[in-house]
Amino acid sequence: MNKALKFPMNYFPEEVIEHIFDFIASHRDRNSISLVSKSWHKIERYSRHQVFIGNCYAISPERLIRRFPCLRSLTLKGKPHFADFNLVPHEWGGFLHPWIDALSKARVGLEELRLKRMVVSDESLELLSRSFVSFKSLVLVSCDGFTTDGLASIAANCRNLRELDLQENEIDDHRGQWLNCFPDSCTTLVSLNFACLKGEINLSALERLVARSTNLKSLKVNRAVPLDGLTRLMSCAPQLVDLGVGCYENEAEPESFASLMAAIKKCTLLRSLSGFSEVASVCLTAFYPICENLTSLNLSYAAEIQGNHLIEFVQFCKRLQLLWILDSIGDKGLEVVASSCKELQELRVFPSDPHDEEDNNTAVTEVGLVAISAGCPKLHSILYFCKQMTNEALITVAKNCPNFIRFRLCILEPNKPDHITSQSLDEGFGAIVQSCKGLRRLSVSGLLTDKVFLYIGMYAEQLEMLSIAFAGDTDKGMLYVLNGCKKLRKLEIRDSPFGNAALLADVGKYETMRSLWMSSCEVTLGGCKRLARNAPWLNVEIINENENENGRMERNEEDEREKVDRLYLYRTVVGTRKDAPPCVTIL
Amino acid sequence: MEGYSRNGEISPKLLHLIPQGTRRNWFHDDQASVYNTEEKKLELKLGPPGEDEHEDGSSMLRHIKKEPKDKSTLSLAGKHFSPSSTTNKPTSQKRTAPGPVVGWPPVRSFRKNLANGSSSKLGNDSTSNAVVLKNQKCDDDNGRAMTMEPKRQGGLFVKINMYGVPIGRKVDLNSHNSYAQLSFTVDKLFRGLLAAQRESFGEEEKPITGLLDGNGEYTLTYEDSEGDKMLVGDVPWHMFVSSVKRLRVIKTSKISSALTYGNGKQEKMRS
Repeated sequence: MNKALKFPMNYFPEEVIEHIFDFIASHRDRNSISLVSKSWHKIERYSRHQVFIGNCYAISPERLIRRFPCLRSLTLKGKPHFADFNLVPHEWGGFLHPWIDALSKARVGLEELRLKRMVVSDESLELLSRSFVSFKSLVLVSCDGFTTDGLASIAANCRNLRELDLQENEIDDHRGQWLNCFPDSCTTLVSLNFACLKGEINLSALERLVARSTNLKSLKVNRAVPLDGLTRLMSCAPQLVDLGVGCYENEAEPESFASLMAAIKKCTLLRSLSGFSEVASVCLTAFYPICENLTSLNLSYAAEIQGNHLIEFVQFCKRLQLLWILDSIGDKGLEVVASSCKELQELRVFPSDPHDEEDNNTAVTEVGLVAISAGCPKLHSILYFCKQMTNEALITVAKNCPNFIRFRLCILEPNKPDHITSQSLDEGFGAIVQSCKGLRRLSVSGLLTDKVFLYIGMYAEQLEMLSIAFAGDTDKGMLYVLNGCKKLRKLEIRDSPFGNAALLADVGKYETMRSLWMSSCEVTLGGCKRLARNAPWLNVEIINENENENGRMERNEEDEREKVDRLYLYRTVVGTRKDAPPCVTIL
Repeated sequence: MEGYSRNGEISPKLLHLIPQGTRRNWFHDDQASVYNTEEKKLELKLGPPGEDEHEDGSSMLRHIKKEPKDKSTLSLAGKHFSPSSTTNKPTSQKRTAPGPVVGWPPVRSFRKNLANGSSSKLGNDSTSNAVVLKNQKCDDDNGRAMTMEPKRQGGLFVKINMYGVPIGRKVDLNSHNSYAQLSFTVDKLFRGLLAAQRESFGEEEKPITGLLDGNGEYTLTYEDSEGDKMLVGDVPWHMFVSSVKRLRVIKTSKISSALTYGNGKQEKMRS
């Protein structure tokens, strides 16, 4: 048989194969391709431009560069997810600098850098800005460690900057003139987001920058930009597609308000709106002229806007696909959303009063959730904070929405049962996993026994990420999940009675996962040590806030039955990291 | 959280800020049936703010510890934690006050600050109210002033919310000279709103009294620049004005839980 007929691709020149690979963007597919043969591995290596690293400690910068020398776009994630909720010490790790240092030394042609939960320093930003001539895009999400001085370096030195997107970072604002540092020759900006900055900015510098950035599509300002300023900005940039609004503390003068409305009317391309962190309700009305065009609306910071105003606005947003909102909208408001927003795909309802300090009767309940599930056929992602839930509601939601990819329910009070039957919510969540066959991410809450995990293990075949808090009875719960969910990548557990038996049952499972987090559970030091011994390909980290150097010495003599406060383990090909602080012990 | 048993001390850091000399009678008053035994164990200590700070800011989590894992005391959760055969060693668990649960609900710090935002707050959170937008160096060619104008001349407006009333108000602290005046204003602001919330059948509006001494149905509290929650009235007036960020009128019966929800340090990771 002619070999060319049997193995045609081997007879294509490399350039052709490479060209074919160019069409394959998904990093998972690329990973698969690289396993086919040595030659494909080689071709794939040199043609890979985008690399995603879900855990910065799983691999080293040097190995990354060796394998993918033609890297242009890098995504790095650092701290574990629960760092968002203050469960990870500030100094835990996730430092950007070694990466920039290595990339710079190797003269990689970096163009794009996306970071999540990393510690970034001004020095790193300065080095970044000077090392990569074609650098275009910097996206920082939930990072910290830098100041506006670092931003000034980026502004000053990145000649081809297209995107500077800062989302919810902790940035020390020196209230300097970083915006001034964009040279007059810089006209390439497409996206600028500095909403998370706390300090003042130079308004006129911003206006000039926006005026000369004719390609600007996305602008999200911080609360230092007042109403008049916003009006001028929008007048310079009627082509905006995505707008983040600042702050209007006082009631707007009628004249200013009219000017704003006029400017907004001209922004016919505007599709996405966010911000409003300290905005009186009346200012939302300025956006009525374009609300029908909106596909994305994030009012989750708009604590000042009352529920009825939210409802009035949202009911006209008939094209909404994404809605992030506070629970002040209430069940009634969600019913309005359900009847108005038929294109809705993603909904997030955040608590306006997380600790129940106010006598808040307008929070949402299972009624709102059911209404949304019934009214929005395209809904696939939900994050819902509420005070109460019932199995019946969850079962109804499961029937209405079998297409959920992400289902995250957070009942504010831990261990709260079905508020009508007082039973656990096992059946409700069971219905969700059984019905939503494509479910990839799940967060559970409320009163839950081992049974819910049996359901999850049995039915959640596509589940990749599971978050558990205050749930379960015995080790069996965790075992059901580890044994059942074949595609599980991230498991994070807090305050649940899972211990060594569950942790150690199948050590090999952790090689198929990115990471496991367990805090305030029943695992002991001895159990973790045993795990570390049996799985050298894992970094098993114990985080103990009160540790100092002496403490670490003492611990070796301490009882191995001592419960571990926080355990974080992850697979890695580069062994123990060298940058762990004293409060972290790597076994 | 409701249903969470709290045995142990309230975070000592919060109580540092309440000078010992003005210890409230009713905190330790046995007759006050509203307070359970846990609150009676409260020790008011004298100490400068920030005494427990570590450089790396990790102190925040020390103050808000989960309760020890003594299963028998977890009233609600107790049903669902299987009784552990290995006993806890209290000595090895360096945990103190139960207080609020760390990191729950799972909401990012950025979101938690929402309801607390006083509009006058721009720039570093540690800036006191008196130094807002002062001395900003402006490199602007045109010499134009910086973006935000200071609030109305001489006015220091802070938000105030009252339990049971969905509508918040604002109070100009600079037009007050004393706690008594403030208390009077609070009564004026909320008396009518409160009456409207309660279905008082033809009753006249009741004045809101006892805000400062613990005798009333409601008590006035505030949040300072570090996010800590405190009772109003303990420090000299001018000190109060320079550090207050926000006011809250809470039910006197909810005092202990309200004060322990002082997650301020959690949010100020970099301060």
